[in-house]
Amino acid sequence: MSYAVKVENLKKSYGDHTVLKGLSFHVKKGEVFALLGGNGAGKTTALECVEGLRRYDSGAIAVNGRVGIQLQSSSLPAHIRPLEAVRLFAEWNRVKADTATLAALGINSFAKKQYLELSTGQKRRLHLALALLGDPELLFLDEPTAGLDVEGRVSLHSQIRRLKAEGKTILLASHDMAEVESLCDRLAILKDGSLVFCGTAAELTAKSGSRYTISIKTEQGDESFFADNIADAMLDLLEGYRQKGIAVLDIKTDRGTLEQHFMELTGREQQ
Amino acid sequence: MKAFLYGTALQWRLDLRSKSLLITCYVVPLLFYALMGGIFTSINPESKATLIQSMTVMGVSMGALIGLPPSLVEHYGSDVKKMYSANGVPLYLGILSMSLSAFLHLLIMCGVITLTAPFVFDASLPRNLPLYFGSLAVFLAVSLSAGCALGLCVKSQAKLTMISQLLFLPSIMLSGILFPISLLPRFLASAGKIFPAAWGYRLMTEEGVYWQNLLPLAVLLSAAVLLCTLLLKRLQKE
Repeated sequence: MSYAVKVENLKKSYGDHTVLKGLSFHVKKGEVFALLGGNGAGKTTALECVEGLRRYDSGAIAVNGRVGIQLQSSSLPAHIRPLEAVRLFAEWNRVKADTATLAALGINSFAKKQYLELSTGQKRRLHLALALLGDPELLFLDEPTAGLDVEGRVSLHSQIRRLKAEGKTILLASHDMAEVESLCDRLAILKDGSLVFCGTAAELTAKSGSRYTISIKTEQGDESFFADNIADAMLDLLEGYRQKGIAVLDIKTDRGTLEQHFMELTGREQQ
Repeated sequence: MKAFLYGTALQWRLDLRSKSLLITCYVVPLLFYALMGGIFTSINPESKATLIQSMTVMGVSMGALIGLPPSLVEHYGSDVKKMYSANGVPLYLGILSMSLSAFLHLLIMCGVITLTAPFVFDASLPRNLPLYFGSLAVFLAVSLSAGCALGLCVKSQAKLTMISQLLFLPSIMLSGILFPISLLPRFLASAGKIFPAAWGYRLMTEEGVYWQNLLPLAVLLSAAVLLCTLLLKRLQKE
């Protein structure tokens, strides 16, 4: 089977409130796949259904491979030490903790602290280490960098890239566009429990059909132009400046950020 | 089994690091014993015959009804439960390891009372110590199972504090450890019988295997275990 996760027509309601309205997507083996969406879009519910932590009303979910889970909101007993948690979870899963993974995540640097003394970043790293026990083929990461500072975020991103390089399949839920753009092979955008897009970031950009903005800085000042065909437009513009004898100092092109395309698809207004 | 034993040993260490459990299982019961032991024996020298049992009932009830439930709420009412489930740790580990750990902590506390009371307050030692500790083990099991049911029923720490006190105070007042039950109005004496403390006190003072004392404790234990099982199943479905 070439897919690690296959979700078909997944539906979930809490009382009268329908959270997932027939969600379908699949995650290929070895890829990093993101579930994107605003607050309340249904990302965490979808992920928890796939993880087997939440019951769903109807639909089908197939998961292939050993699974490791890092939850969005998770906690450990206040007085437990990191290596005690690692050993407890390893004992129950009858696996041995991989010391190289623990070292890569820097767990030993705060091994003597109790859980209540750990920073948010240290807790996230510990949760990731626990999710990686037993060398899972498939990792579920729910908002892995939420609440982290820049340093923690960069560190965790490099860990996720390392795991991808090792061939692990990663399904992550996030609302951080930059994170998704830099880490993920494909993404799915959820809006009010429905899928509004599934594909690569490049496909999303193409689908949104935004025009290019070309900003040109010359010795006479700055000018901006809009174009659908960037190659033709650039050639015409540069030829025009050359004929007028105006020196071009800098050129920038922009086709809108992933965030802008996300906003367009989800019908949200930028603040 | 190895994983379960490690989980229980770990819980024992976590409890030692937790100040709240040390307070409810050791500091307060032993302070109460030190203070009330002096008062009881000076007011009524006859109380020396049952001082060990009465102070033990007080300490066990405090540890089981006030000390244990908050730890369970912290575990099952928070993301700890979810984290354990997500990482393949069974739901029952928390309740079993916490109960076993509390059992040992309370047994140590009771041991301190039993060993020191004859020297400090000239209290009488139970005549049959193995039988006494057997009775104590039964009382501990019943009290802790009631504490477990309480910790699983109530999901907020604020509510739990109130409900624990509402159960602990009548449990002690109506158990016969502070004054004879015969002095109480009949309805209060009857009400006291719904708590393990009254039966545990009788079991430990009468020093014999009397089914009329053991049967109510067995019923209370069965009811608490059944309730805990149902509550755990409900938590599993959430």
